[in-house]
Amino acid sequence: MRIRSFFWVLAAGITLSGCVEKEIIDDVNIEMGVGYDFVEDDKIEGTVMIPIFNPDKKIGNFTYSATAASSRDLIQEVQRKSAQPLVTGSLEIALFGEGIAKKGIREFTDAFERDASIGARVYFAVADESAKSILSGTYGNRGNAVHLSQLIKHNMETRNLPITNMHLYLFDLYQEGKDPYLPILKKVEPEIIDIVGIALFKDDKLKSELPPDKMFFFKLLTDKFSEGAYKLDVGKEKVVIKDLDSKHKIKLTKRDPYNITVEIKIKGLIREYTGHIVTPEIIKKIEKEFEEQVNKEASAMIKDFQEQGIDPVGFGQFIKSKTRGFDFKRWEDEYKNLTVNVKTDMIITEVGIVE
Amino acid sequence: MQQPVPERLQVSPFLVLYLIMSMQIGIGVLGYQRIIAKDAGYDAWISVLAAGLSIHIIIWMIYKICGTVEGDIVAANAYVFGKKIGNVISSVFIFYLLIFALAVLRTFIEVIQVWMFPEISTFWYSLVFLLLSVYIVFGGFRTVTGIAFFCIVLPSYLLLTFGFALKYAEYRNLLPIFDHSLKEFATSAYNMSLTYIGFEIPLFFYPFIKDAPKSQKWAHLGVFLTTIIYTVLAIITFTYFSEAQLAKSIWATLEMWKIVSMPFVERFEYIGIANWNLIILPNICIALWGGSMILKRAYKLRQKKGVILLALICLVAVSFFDTRAKINLLNDWTAKIGFAVTYVYIPILFIATLIAKKVKNKNEN
Repeated sequence: MRIRSFFWVLAAGITLSGCVEKEIIDDVNIEMGVGYDFVEDDKIEGTVMIPIFNPDKKIGNFTYSATAASSRDLIQEVQRKSAQPLVTGSLEIALFGEGIAKKGIREFTDAFERDASIGARVYFAVADESAKSILSGTYGNRGNAVHLSQLIKHNMETRNLPITNMHLYLFDLYQEGKDPYLPILKKVEPEIIDIVGIALFKDDKLKSELPPDKMFFFKLLTDKFSEGAYKLDVGKEKVVIKDLDSKHKIKLTKRDPYNITVEIKIKGLIREYTGHIVTPEIIKKIEKEFEEQVNKEASAMIKDFQEQGIDPVGFGQFIKSKTRGFDFKRWEDEYKNLTVNVKTDMIITEVGIVE
Repeated sequence: MQQPVPERLQVSPFLVLYLIMSMQIGIGVLGYQRIIAKDAGYDAWISVLAAGLSIHIIIWMIYKICGTVEGDIVAANAYVFGKKIGNVISSVFIFYLLIFALAVLRTFIEVIQVWMFPEISTFWYSLVFLLLSVYIVFGGFRTVTGIAFFCIVLPSYLLLTFGFALKYAEYRNLLPIFDHSLKEFATSAYNMSLTYIGFEIPLFFYPFIKDAPKSQKWAHLGVFLTTIIYTVLAIITFTYFSEAQLAKSIWATLEMWKIVSMPFVERFEYIGIANWNLIILPNICIALWGGSMILKRAYKLRQKKGVILLALICLVAVSFFDTRAKINLLNDWTAKIGFAVTYVYIPILFIATLIAKKVKNKNEN
């Protein structure tokens, strides 16, 4: 009896496993990159990038583009042009043209959020000029999507780009008292893509852009732990400092009006120095100069955010976490009157293998 | 007092831990975070903890009831209300277990449909799953217990995968603590019902435990572990999502798997959900076993027939729930009935048993 019922289950399992729609990797188009641009007449152009695996092991790229009035129609249009079904499971990067970003990208991110097959590690980025031109080039030898995502990844992990991805973007978007930010990509040469700054959002709309030389300070304020590199002028000499490990701590020092102190601790080493010899006195001097520079730049940046009414650092959320019954309606005004002091503590641990 | 169960059909007291945990952990845990955060916000983890602690009182009551009548729920109802009325009340529990199994099965199939295979047929999947469950229940209570044991131990590694979300944890989300009213905390604890129910099952299998009174500490430990798991998972979720973001996430637990990245698998959800089959399995098995046991004890229906009958009802009913709204309604009702059974009926039965015992003792004297 038992054996017989076991066979029934087994037979049912084997026969029924064929009942689900199959997706064989050779028979689908894997959508790895996607971009949205504005074209004239308020129409949206969507570009879908798929890798092509050539027999000689090279990875080629192919893009489908379609123009439609809304993002919903775009999928239909693109699917119609594609010989095999498009699947979204291994999407790596989504680019939003500047025009679209200024109008708000919620309409587009909603589809990513809703799709169960899209991971939370997808990179979002704003495309300077057009997303289509970025997606339709050829970069590196591993396919465009992998190239672009690795470009962003390594810059986030060890360089000056603050950490962002789809999850963090959505986290910030929905978090009260914090605004999201994304990297900006630009095609500088036919085969080279550069990160040209950070796009600062108010809700889901692009509000302003941060140039690349400010990114280092921005990252100090936003990331829990950050790494990066910065070039500093000390007197006549120039020095390049690699930030190995830095932390920031926000403290609420006074209420009514709110007064916040941001304490930044940086551990770094000297990568390049144009002077002759690095003595302890020079190190002291470099540390001091660097601390001042960070204080000045970070304070100016925060002032600028306050004037624009954006809060990518999340001061609103911070004060909320320290206040019972916090009222976000009043915060809009209070944010303008917020005083932020930046205090930096810098230690240079090593100078390299020569003095 | 009911006829004692022969020892070869009984299980060791410590296995109660696995039985209770495997019955509690099911589909509620996939998305309870949003439901509890609706009222108490990000303080809701305190409600999870408080609700979990309150269960220990109910467990204590259950063991007192079963110890007094030396039998299961049918014996207890007969002891208090007499045989006829008692059996009618016991039948309500068949309905409860049936709707429990139905809710678990249908919700899990919904998860498969939303996250993996939109085209999968509810009917065929239920058929296969129920066939397997019926087959396990045919093996008797010891087999069901074995399944409960394995279905806690094997998928337990899944807990580690939530560590990936810790990298994105924003602990500031949890502050300030106690920023909500007592009423909000209470509502939030009440909304944990669906996630916590299942701990009442000693009522059904009490006579099947060797040295049953000794198993009480294991029951407490099981509930305690579940509480810890739920609380920690709630805290991880609250630090991972911002509040408005969580409010949109139907299956927050599954959504945290979206951030998991491993070199050998692109999307961990597929492994996780497939593994969740194991977590669901004892839910259905224990419910079918319990239901058929009551049928046997109250109506003298052979257990094998009872299991098939209940499985058939499940199979037919499952097809009626075809949209998110209906499934949600099913879950809501399961939670409500579960709450009524555990927090209203059991205390009443407990008091009634005490009174009945006093009265009977007096009569004997």
